[in-house]
Amino acid sequence: MTVAGGAASRMFRPRGVGEAVEMLAVARESGDVVALLSGGTDLVPALRSGERVADAVVALRRVLELRVRGAGADSLTIGAGVTYTDLVGWSLAPGLARAARVVGSAQIRNTGTVGGALGSARPAGDLLTYLTAADAEVLTASPRGLRRRPLERFLADPLAADSLITAVRLARPGGPQVYVKIGGRQAAYPAIVSCALVVDRVRHRVACAIGGVGHLPARMGGAESYAVGEVDWTTGTIPAPAVRRFGDLVVEAVAGIGPALPVRPGESADYRWHAAGVLAGRALARCLHPRTDRDGAS
Amino acid sequence: MTAAGESYQLNIDGFTRAVVGAGLGDSLLTVLRDTLGVTSVKDACEQGRCGACSVLLDGRLAASCTVLAADADGARVVTVAGLGAVGLARAVRAMFLAEGAVQCGFCTPGFVVAVTDLLTRRPDADDEEIREALAGNICRCTGYGRILAAIRAVQRERGMLPARREPPTHPVGG
Ligand SMILES: Cc1cc2nc3c(=O)[nH]c(=O)nc-3n(C[C@H](O)[C@H](O)[C@H](O)COP(=O)(O)OP(=O)(O)OC[C@H]3O[C@@H](n4cnc5c(N)ncnc54)[C@H](O)[C@@H]3O)c2cc1C
Ligand code: FES
Ligand code: FES
Repeated sequence: MTVAGGAASRMFRPRGVGEAVEMLAVARESGDVVALLSGGTDLVPALRSGERVADAVVALRRVLELRVRGAGADSLTIGAGVTYTDLVGWSLAPGLARAARVVGSAQIRNTGTVGGALGSARPAGDLLTYLTAADAEVLTASPRGLRRRPLERFLADPLAADSLITAVRLARPGGPQVYVKIGGRQAAYPAIVSCALVVDRVRHRVACAIGGVGHLPARMGGAESYAVGEVDWTTGTIPAPAVRRFGDLVVEAVAGIGPALPVRPGESADYRWHAAGVLAGRALARCLHPRTDRDGAS
Repeated sequence: MTAAGESYQLNIDGFTRAVVGAGLGDSLLTVLRDTLGVTSVKDACEQGRCGACSVLLDGRLAASCTVLAADADGARVVTVAGLGAVGLARAVRAMFLAEGAVQCGFCTPGFVVAVTDLLTRRPDADDEEIREALAGNICRCTGYGRILAAIRAVQRERGMLPARREPPTHPVGG
C-alpha cells in the first residue's frame, strides 16, 4: 500500500495571482499551516514522508499567468509556474536553458517549476546556481502589492507567509554562458557541485556561481575580478595560465565558506572544493577561449 | 475550495472517475492505486526517483507520486492502459516481451508510458537520447540492454529511422 500523504484538510485552486493572494490570506486566517504547491516534485514527497506538514494547500497549477515567459528589450521574465521543460529549448537564454536541461529526469523537468526551485532553495539547485550568477531579481505578490528584489536579498530573509513568488527577471545575455555540474547518478539526482559562468562582453563582466559548497550557491567575487582583468575583451580570449589561476581562486574561496554541508560518502568537503575548481576552470575555458603564448604573439 | 472528505473528479484514461474518501494530501499515485484500484501504476520510491509510477499528465510524462491527486482534477491522466490497444503503444508492449525487456515486470508499465511518450515526440531518437530520456525510469533486473534493444526494434518495425542510421539487427545487450 502507498503511504497516505499529510492530513491537509483544505485545498485551494486559484485561477489568477490576485485570487491566489486572497486565498492564501483566507487559508491562513484560521491559523492553519498553509503550503503553496506548484509542480509538487519537492513538496508532495515531503508531505508524504512527514518532513512537511500542511493543514491547507494553495495549488498554483491553474494560475496560467504564472506559466508565461517573456522577453523585453533588456530583460527576460520567467513566470513562477514555468517548468524546466519549457526552458530547455529557449534560444534567448542559452545558459538558463542548459541549467534546465541538466535537471533531474524527464519526469522532474516536465513537472518542476521555477517558483518551486526558488521556494525550495536547494544548496546545489541548478536553477538557483544559474540565477545567482545571472544577478536575477525575484518578483513576489502579497496583500501589500508587488515587490521586486535581487535574488540575494530574497534568499537572505524568508518569504513572508502571505506572499508568493510570481516571476524571476534577468538581463538578456550579453555573451557566452555555461552551466556544468557533477552529480551522483547521471540524472535524477541533484548536483553535488555545480558552476554557472556568465560572461558579459558588452559590459566587460564575468560572473561565477558555485552550488553545493554552502547552504546556498555562492558568487566567486575574487575570482571574477581576477578574470575580468585577464580577459582580452576585443577577442574574447584569456591566457591559458589565467584559467588555472581562476580555478585555484575558486577553490580558495569555496574552502572559506561556512558552515560546511553534511559530508556523505564520496562527497567530502575536499572533494567538493576540488570539483568546484575543476568545474570553474572548465566553464571559463568554454566561455573565453584560452590562449597560449604562441597564439598571443600571432 | 475542496475540503477534506469532499469528493472530486479525475479524468483517468479518458474516463471520469469520482474520488471519494481520499485525503487531500494524497498523491495521485496513492489515489490511483488505493482509491481507484489502478494497480498498473507501481509504487516503489514515492520520491520521484524511479519512474515506476509514471503517467502522462496533460500529455506530459510525470511521476504520479509527485502530484497531489486533488490538484489533478481537471487534468487528463493517462496510464499504460490508456495509451491504446493499437499503434505505437501496442508495438512498444509487444517488443518489450519479444526482446526480453521484461523480467520481474515491476518497472514495465512506467517504462512503456515513458517509451511511448519519447517515441511519439522523437521517433528517431538515438541511443544517447533514449538513455537520457529514460534516466528517470529505474529497472533493477534487465540492466537496460534489453530495454534499449526493444526500443530499437520498435523504431525499425515502424520505419521510424532514416535508412542510413539503422542500427545492427542484434544490438549487444545485457
Ligand atoms: C528525483 C528528483 C530529482 C531532482 N533533480 C534535481 C536536479 O537535478 N537539479 C535541481 O536543481 N533540482 C532537482 N530536483 C528538485 C526539484 O525538482 C526542484 O526543486 C523543483 O524546481 C521544485 O519545483 P516544484 O514546482 O516541483 O515545487 P513544489 O514541490 O511545488 O514546491 C517546492 C517548494 O517551493 C514552494 N513554492 C512553490 N511555488 C511557490 C511560489 N510561487 N511562491 C513561493 N513558494 C513556492 C513550495 O511551498 C515548496 O516549499 C529534483 C527533485 C526530485 C524529486
Ligand atoms: S514511485 Fe514515483 S517515481 Fe518512484
Ligand atoms: S524488470 Fe524488474 S525492475 Fe525492471
